[in-house]
Amino acid sequence: MQATSEGMSLNSDVPQMLHMDLDIKDFCSDWAHCDLMSGYLARMVSHNRLDSLLFSNLYSSALNELLETVFRVHGEDGKLECAVRRQGNHDRIELTFPADQPTFETYRQAIEKVQASDAEALYLEALFTEDEPDAGLGLLELGVDYGARLTIDRLENGRMCLVAELALEDETE
Amino acid sequence: MIADSISQGFQWNFNENDQEFSLHGSLRPQRSEEMNSCISALENSVSGVSGRFYVNVRRLVRMNNVAFHAFAGKILDLVRGRSDLKVHVTTSSVVGWATRKFAVLETMSENITVGEYDNEFYPGQTFLEEGGFIPILRTQTKLTWRHERAILQRHGLEPGLQVADICCGIGDFAVLLQKEFQPDRLVALDHSRSSLDYARKVATDFGIRGIDYVFGDASEMLLESDQFDFVTCRHSLQVFDRPELILQELLRICKPGGRIYITNEKNSHCLGEPRSESIQRTYNEVARLWAHFNMDIELGPKSRRYLIDAGLEDIQMESFMVTNLDGDPQDFADIIQSWEDVYAGKMAVERGDSEEQIREFRQGFQDHIFAAKHPRGYAGWPIWVASGRKPK
Ligand SMILES: C[S@@+](CC[C@H](N)C(=O)[O-])C[C@H]1O[C@@H](n2cnc3c(N)ncnc32)[C@H](O)[C@@H]1O
Repeated sequence: MQATSEGMSLNSDVPQMLHMDLDIKDFCSDWAHCDLMSGYLARMVSHNRLDSLLFSNLYSSALNELLETVFRVHGEDGKLECAVRRQGNHDRIELTFPADQPTFETYRQAIEKVQASDAEALYLEALFTEDEPDAGLGLLELGVDYGARLTIDRLENGRMCLVAELALEDETE
Repeated sequence: MIADSISQGFQWNFNENDQEFSLHGSLRPQRSEEMNSCISALENSVSGVSGRFYVNVRRLVRMNNVAFHAFAGKILDLVRGRSDLKVHVTTSSVVGWATRKFAVLETMSENITVGEYDNEFYPGQTFLEEGGFIPILRTQTKLTWRHERAILQRHGLEPGLQVADICCGIGDFAVLLQKEFQPDRLVALDHSRSSLDYARKVATDFGIRGIDYVFGDASEMLLESDQFDFVTCRHSLQVFDRPELILQELLRICKPGGRIYITNEKNSHCLGEPRSESIQRTYNEVARLWAHFNMDIELGPKSRRYLIDAGLEDIQMESFMVTNLDGDPQDFADIIQSWEDVYAGKMAVERGDSEEQIREFRQGFQDHIFAAKHPRGYAGWPIWVASGRKPK
């Protein structure tokens, strides 16, 4: 795993704080990586927040849902890159990873639900289904509960980027 | 920042007397099967319950949607399957996501309620937290600092340490520490949002950087274990009905070999001349009044026992007296006046004291002020400092 302070970015007007990348296969070799990575990154970006403990707990929860989603739904070969950016109270998490067309399609449908006008009802439905929860449940929660703005981007070389924009501190104050 | 010892794994337990099922720790399973034993424990617990069933997630620090799906779904199942059953979920305001996440349960069934555990936090909270007390806390710290700045060094505080001030109040002690001792890291924690807001504003106004003010519950902190060299908790063990619980937490976050430093009062030993008898009578009453609200303003001299019982070593203890000779006697008088306002004006009223009792109670405070401002008078407020080392 690599952590650098500078990295490639889609949206370089928002200052980048951290960039990590690792092979998607390594990432997916152990479920605990989601928890470890989200905890680690949350800790790194929380020190100068209004309330570092509250913030890091929320940030870790949000990032963990994104990572768990990618853990479940991703393409074959390549790197998982995670870039985190911030401007004022706005945090932006960018996950870039391999995605074939069906993978991208899964995300497109999930994001469509998040952006739907009845997103809240869809969230409840996904939450209280008898079946195994849908892979998009975490994204729905981020949209509905955390007020996150979620977008996806198709990249070259069979990759995609999932972006979450959050304002965590306004919520807690 | 979140405690790893808490985040590693999770536990649950059921308290039959309280009909309460609690979840602790970190719950981020990959598959819902990993929740099976917890879910069946939940089912078993509910089967023996009548009326209201309590679910306590206050110490649940992390929970992913896999776990929530399994757990919340089961709760909903249970209330739908039994019309006599009501469920109340208690969340913590300290864990930012918890209340929102669980609140969806309320929308699914009218037999489920969700609430944050926050109110009636410690016995005297409403009396001590109101805005009017803030300026007085600042004056108190100003006067105690004259003594403590030297005392702290004797108890092992030096520059460059990792320091935590738990129950920091309005944070002025943390500011003084930051300026005088330049800790490497300084975390100041309290469970009063208004005090923390004030603390942050003061720090910003004074251009003080580097103090990490955090919202938290001292009896179950989200801070990691074994990370501070010096943990202070001032004038606060005395406001809890179970100080030993707070002490355990102070011990947990302290590094082995680090020190815990506490200060507490014994108000019945406040004194003054002239008019010593009336002063004495009033402060004896203060002790009874606090006891009525399950707080122990007499805790000071008991500190040594508390620290020994908590398992600390190398206990050091001393006392000092803030007096009217510490700078401007008016400062001392202001403190006493604020005590009168809160103790006689609010707490005694709440206890149901008669007007006559309150009048007499007030008199002692006025006599203490009289002694403080008297050209040949002397007035004192004694404080006990104790510290101990966490075993390696
Ligand atoms: C008497 S004040 C002392 C404040 C400060 N240490 C000082 O010396 O001025 C007690 C403080 O304990 C805080 N407190 C009470 N219960 C608490 C809890 N469970 N967790 C954290 N702080 C708490 C109150 O908000 C209050 O600021």
